[in-house]
Amino acid sequence: MNVKVWRTKGMKSIKTILSIFTICGVFVLNAQNKNERSTLILGTTAHIGNGDVIKNSAIGIKGTTINLVMSAQDYRLDTNAYDTVIRMYGQHSYPGFISPNNVLGLVEIDAARATRDNNEVGSITPQVRSLVAYNTDSKIIPTVRSNGVLIVQSTPQGGRISGTSSIFSLNGWNWEDAVLKIDDAIHINWPSVYSSKWENGDIIYFENKNYLTEVKELKTFFLNAKAYSKSDFNLEKNLRFEAMREVFKGNKKVFIHADKAKELSEAIYFIREQEIKKPVLVGAYDALLVADLLVDYNIPVVLRRVHELPLRKDDAVDQPYRLPALLKEAGVLFCLQNDGRMQAMGTRNLPFYAGTAAAYGLDKEEALSSITLNAAKILGIEKQVGSIEIGKLATLFVSKGDALDMKTNNVTIAFVNGQTIDLSSHQRELYEKYMKKYGLEVN
Amino acid sequence: MRFLYLLIFAVISSHAVFSQSTFPVNGNRNPNNNYIAFTNATITVAPGQVLQKATLLVKNGTIEAVGKDISIPKSSVIYDLKGAFIYHSFIDIYSDYGIQNDSEKNKKSGSPQLESKKEGAYNWNEAVKAENKAFEGFNIEHDKAKELRKNGFGVVATHQQDGIFRGTAALVSLGLESPNESLEQSEVFTSLSFDKGSSKQTYPSSLMGIIALIRQTFYDAQWYENRLGTKEYNITLENVNRTKALPKVISVDSYLSALRADKIAKEFDFKFIIKGNGDEYKRVDEIKALNSAFILPLNFPMAYDVENPYDAMNVSLGEMKHWEMAPFNASMLKAAEVPFCFTANGLESQSEFLTNWRKAIRAGLSKDAALAAITTSPAQILNLKYTDGTLKKGNPANFIITSASIFDKKSIVYENWVEGQPHIISDRTNIDIRGTYSINIEGIMQYDLTVEGELDKLTAKIKSEDSSKPCTIVLKGNQVSLAFASKGSKEVIRLSGHVSDDKSRIWSGNAISTKGDWVKWGAIKKKEFITEKKKDSSEVMTHGPVWYPNMAFGSEIKPVAKNVIYRNATVWTNESKGILRETDVLVIDGKIHKIGPKLDLSIIFRKKAPEVEEFDAKGMHITSGIIDEHSHIAISRGVNESGQANTAEVSIGDVVNSDDINIYRQLSGGVVASQLLHGSANPIGGQSAIIKLKWGETPEVMKIDSADGFIKFALGENVKQSNWGDERKVRFPQTRMGVEQVYYDDFIRAKTYKDNWTLYNSKNNRDRKEMSIPRKDLELETLVEILDKKRFITCHSYVQSEINMLMHVADSMGFKINTFTHILEGYKVADKMKEHGAAGSTFSDWWAYKFEVNDAIPYNGSILNQMGVTTGFNSDDAEMGRRLNQEAAKAVKYGNVSEVDALKFVTLNPAKMLHLDRRMGSIAEGKDADLVVWSGDPLSVYSKVQKTIIDGVCYYDAERDQELRKKVSTERERLVQKMIEAKKKGEKTKKPEAKEKQLYECESMEDEGYEIN
Repeated sequence: MNVKVWRTKGMKSIKTILSIFTICGVFVLNAQNKNERSTLILGTTAHIGNGDVIKNSAIGIKGTTINLVMSAQDYRLDTNAYDTVIRMYGQHSYPGFISPNNVLGLVEIDAARATRDNNEVGSITPQVRSLVAYNTDSKIIPTVRSNGVLIVQSTPQGGRISGTSSIFSLNGWNWEDAVLKIDDAIHINWPSVYSSKWENGDIIYFENKNYLTEVKELKTFFLNAKAYSKSDFNLEKNLRFEAMREVFKGNKKVFIHADKAKELSEAIYFIREQEIKKPVLVGAYDALLVADLLVDYNIPVVLRRVHELPLRKDDAVDQPYRLPALLKEAGVLFCLQNDGRMQAMGTRNLPFYAGTAAAYGLDKEEALSSITLNAAKILGIEKQVGSIEIGKLATLFVSKGDALDMKTNNVTIAFVNGQTIDLSSHQRELYEKYMKKYGLEVN
Repeated sequence: MRFLYLLIFAVISSHAVFSQSTFPVNGNRNPNNNYIAFTNATITVAPGQVLQKATLLVKNGTIEAVGKDISIPKSSVIYDLKGAFIYHSFIDIYSDYGIQNDSEKNKKSGSPQLESKKEGAYNWNEAVKAENKAFEGFNIEHDKAKELRKNGFGVVATHQQDGIFRGTAALVSLGLESPNESLEQSEVFTSLSFDKGSSKQTYPSSLMGIIALIRQTFYDAQWYENRLGTKEYNITLENVNRTKALPKVISVDSYLSALRADKIAKEFDFKFIIKGNGDEYKRVDEIKALNSAFILPLNFPMAYDVENPYDAMNVSLGEMKHWEMAPFNASMLKAAEVPFCFTANGLESQSEFLTNWRKAIRAGLSKDAALAAITTSPAQILNLKYTDGTLKKGNPANFIITSASIFDKKSIVYENWVEGQPHIISDRTNIDIRGTYSINIEGIMQYDLTVEGELDKLTAKIKSEDSSKPCTIVLKGNQVSLAFASKGSKEVIRLSGHVSDDKSRIWSGNAISTKGDWVKWGAIKKKEFITEKKKDSSEVMTHGPVWYPNMAFGSEIKPVAKNVIYRNATVWTNESKGILRETDVLVIDGKIHKIGPKLDLSIIFRKKAPEVEEFDAKGMHITSGIIDEHSHIAISRGVNESGQANTAEVSIGDVVNSDDINIYRQLSGGVVASQLLHGSANPIGGQSAIIKLKWGETPEVMKIDSADGFIKFALGENVKQSNWGDERKVRFPQTRMGVEQVYYDDFIRAKTYKDNWTLYNSKNNRDRKEMSIPRKDLELETLVEILDKKRFITCHSYVQSEINMLMHVADSMGFKINTFTHILEGYKVADKMKEHGAAGSTFSDWWAYKFEVNDAIPYNGSILNQMGVTTGFNSDDAEMGRRLNQEAAKAVKYGNVSEVDALKFVTLNPAKMLHLDRRMGSIAEGKDADLVVWSGDPLSVYSKVQKTIIDGVCYYDAERDQELRKKVSTERERLVQKMIEAKKKGEKTKKPEAKEKQLYECESMEDEGYEIN
């Protein structure tokens, strides 16, 4: 490690050591101190993820961790300090993009039931965990990470409390190997105020008569789970209640999925009433209407898919595109996600949602934050990932062009926890195979 | 006296029952040829023809005379109707009174029902019930008849309202004792609808299927009539032909369907009478142009309860505007001279009928027109023999007697006479005793009594000294009874007595005091009753503007074509010139007139320069408009006719919905034209519609008139119903093997069909008489069009085996596959596609949503393009449709397609696939001015659409969009306030509901939306 760097970033180095300690202590990593390989990436425009940009940067990786981030102009080349030096002038580097609230790893082919592991039987099932069903060998994963998405919150769906999610790096031999944070959150689908029915090709939303009952059921469950969790030892174990223990301790987040204003304000009331320590709202199409509450109570938002139609006929045609900028302006902490149709496969388009958000008023680096650092903050993994900063895990990539623009997103090298990953995929192999068949040149 | 009335009624009734009847009489016959004279009444003989103090003379159920100086024959029973009004009773020609509905009979079974379950020699499709005859099933429903009479109806045309062909309607009167007497005309019209009703047969599952079935049935009936030999006896078709001369009424669900119905009528050279939906005001001009009569419902939507702003968000502006406009529908049609009558059909309660009828008057319909719409117009529209709806001599004596003008909401229907038989609704003999009286009981107690309220609902208050107490009052004939608590006590004094003089000034009688003694009492009127005039209810109603379409982002004035020169833009020509910088594009009369740097208009036009607007497009890019080869927006009621494996007879063109908000949304993404495709539920799907997204226009204006016909085919999992659940395992085919055989079978049939017609057409008239005319089969006609290269195929396809298979089928049967759509494994057979000449319209990066897309790759477009296949990216998705430019950009990312080629994927290449490249798809002089002005590079995620121009008309403008947003919110707020006001006035409201258009993609199943990914 370069001495000069340690001097100039002296203050930070202590922090770094501390955070490395924390990471190793708490999380399952395969970091090996012996034979730690080191890599230096030179010349990229580094988009840090926190809003900063370093042109012509130097990014150093040692073992699993980033140990150098600065302008290459200020850095005196010492190639001996790194095993590998990669020069990528004119290219852009980014922290690995983070996709929250996603079925990636749980669902392989949407229409094939045998390949779906996202939705368990029962309404309240916080005890079911994505952790153990997450398939590191999903054929979809390589197609996702080759666009820069390197971290996913693999999330159960359906029911009132769908289950417990875990966060994974998109590289690993098995789930134990790939997991970044175990059992990070439970997911609640807030009862809908409106029911829906079909009529002559229209979807009609009308009052859900069971709404209050449904809310009451949820509350009753929370009250019971809380009462249960007050005792450390329960003679007869209730797995649902057990799954809630960490929620009440504040170690497990509570993601509440709701879109419409009435549901959102009800969910916020619930959060306060139940004294939920780490709440997150998911979807939140009408978040602007409750923005003051979100700010006051520090409730972040995992925003509904940007590439989605407006929820209502009367809404501005670009409402979903503008929401990120409007939320930013309102001071709400938010990140982007990919919930919706073709979710697993569409994860590779997450960067472009951020691009669209930038086209509609969000600053480009802020747009980047909404799929990197802010996402990490909301998922509670900002100490390990989310930005290219010293001490964080080296989960990052380099793209030839602007990675938020589909035309120029072109990932040339990517690291997960300091290791370079294979950027090929089932799709790429088929491409090359048939290009060869036709005698065409792959470029 | 009252007893006498009753006796007379009894006599009259029995007369009518027994005279001239085949029915034997038990006891003595009771003929009555007396006259009944109604004198001193205000008689409305016909709308606008009012006689004061006139006489109506009735004999044997028929009107003998009406007028002012009628001599009353000696044998007359005379009723003095001083102060009362007489009108012809109302006629409702769209009723189901007295008819049993068989909708309850059909219960859905587990697996799909492909064939009719109706027993007997009827039609193959259960929803075609032309054999139904209302007069056969008709029976009197006494309660319903009573309810109808109470609301002023005397005669209705009734039929079973279930199914697509519903059979004939009978005209029945509402007051007679037996069905035999009640049936006035056995068959007054035949009824059709766009509603499949209770049939559980799978076909038709969509509106376009219903339309095709109606057309095919008419063709079948023609064939049936002219055929030789009797291989098939078909009671249903017999009846279609038997009732050919009757008027045809069709019930539709929207003004758009009214236009659709008329298209069918034109094909068979008749006119429909259209039972509308009440939203015809949305397109008065087009409705007027139909030249059809309308039967209009009066079921105006209730106001929404919008006091909670969150709930109110669920109500769309379109719904609110419709709430405001619905009562104006009739007056607007009247102003446009569209003939119409009203029906109570669709009302929750008959009692709303007159309330809403009066509302239509307050909304600007003239009283005469309103009255005509429930008396003379229905008779006229059906050309009834029975009556013309007036009270002229010779007409049946069907009339109502009311307390006041029928236009007054306080008017009470006293009596409803049906063919001379009276039905008492409310006692006409009641005198108006309302006023303030001084009551004296036994000369001791003195009270003040105030009687008020409605004539049929009196209320009273009793007052002594300072305290005022409620008092029960009942008036029967001249007998009046009162009950109230006595002074300073809770005990009740009861009074009975009669009203003594005809001005009702003096009452007298006996009372029982609180002690139980009989005492005398009397009352003298001190003050007359004065009716308060409530302003609000009679207020003339007003409404806001009608927008085109009448919903958010619609406009009062449709945008028009402008001559514009766009200066200094970066122009993506899609021509050999490639991308031109700092270039001007001149648009004149909807066409691209000239392209070049620094165009000088004075040189181009010399002296005859038209008015040209300048637009500085510096820094902006201009491309040809985006064309979506595969879209399912703007379709009404079902994108799939999934009822059969081959539905070539159905057409999306029949069900284009010009009021879909997604049209505007896609304009905001630069889309100018879309091929609206049938879904992928069957190997041979339906015909497509190719439209330009002219927001604010009607479907026919949107359709590209000179465009070639296209049809959707489909392969793979959807047509074999792999992902449709375990119930759906019956329809052939269930494997890819079966799919091939469907095509062979159908095209071989089509060839035979064609040969049969060729043979028939080659014969002279004499020979033709000796042979059976081939049956016109809409399904096979369409396949023949394919064989004749007059219709072209877009085929939904995924895996290489099936793509290969279909090209083989096509080659061997002598046609071509124009375009493979989706075609996600096209890259595996690109060389074969090239050889066949098929284009590929694919997705940029979709995959993994079902098993057959497991080998889909985002490089597909690039490989197809490199192999020389005409390649496009399409949406198949309302959301993606508005950012197809971004999808095109992905072709650069995946497989390194050049930027110029990538843009062609969504512009020129789809134009080629749709055979429209001669007029669309590139920026060349003489081509349609379908242009998009972008804020920057059209392939960049950071660029936005500034303007979308179609045929020189700017249908989307980013700046105007900002204004429209404001307009939407102002208009919403105006209507919210109006609804709150309506609620305050006591109007009924309903909880807010949101209606969102169902989004269709290939795999959306059926009318009611059954979606599989």
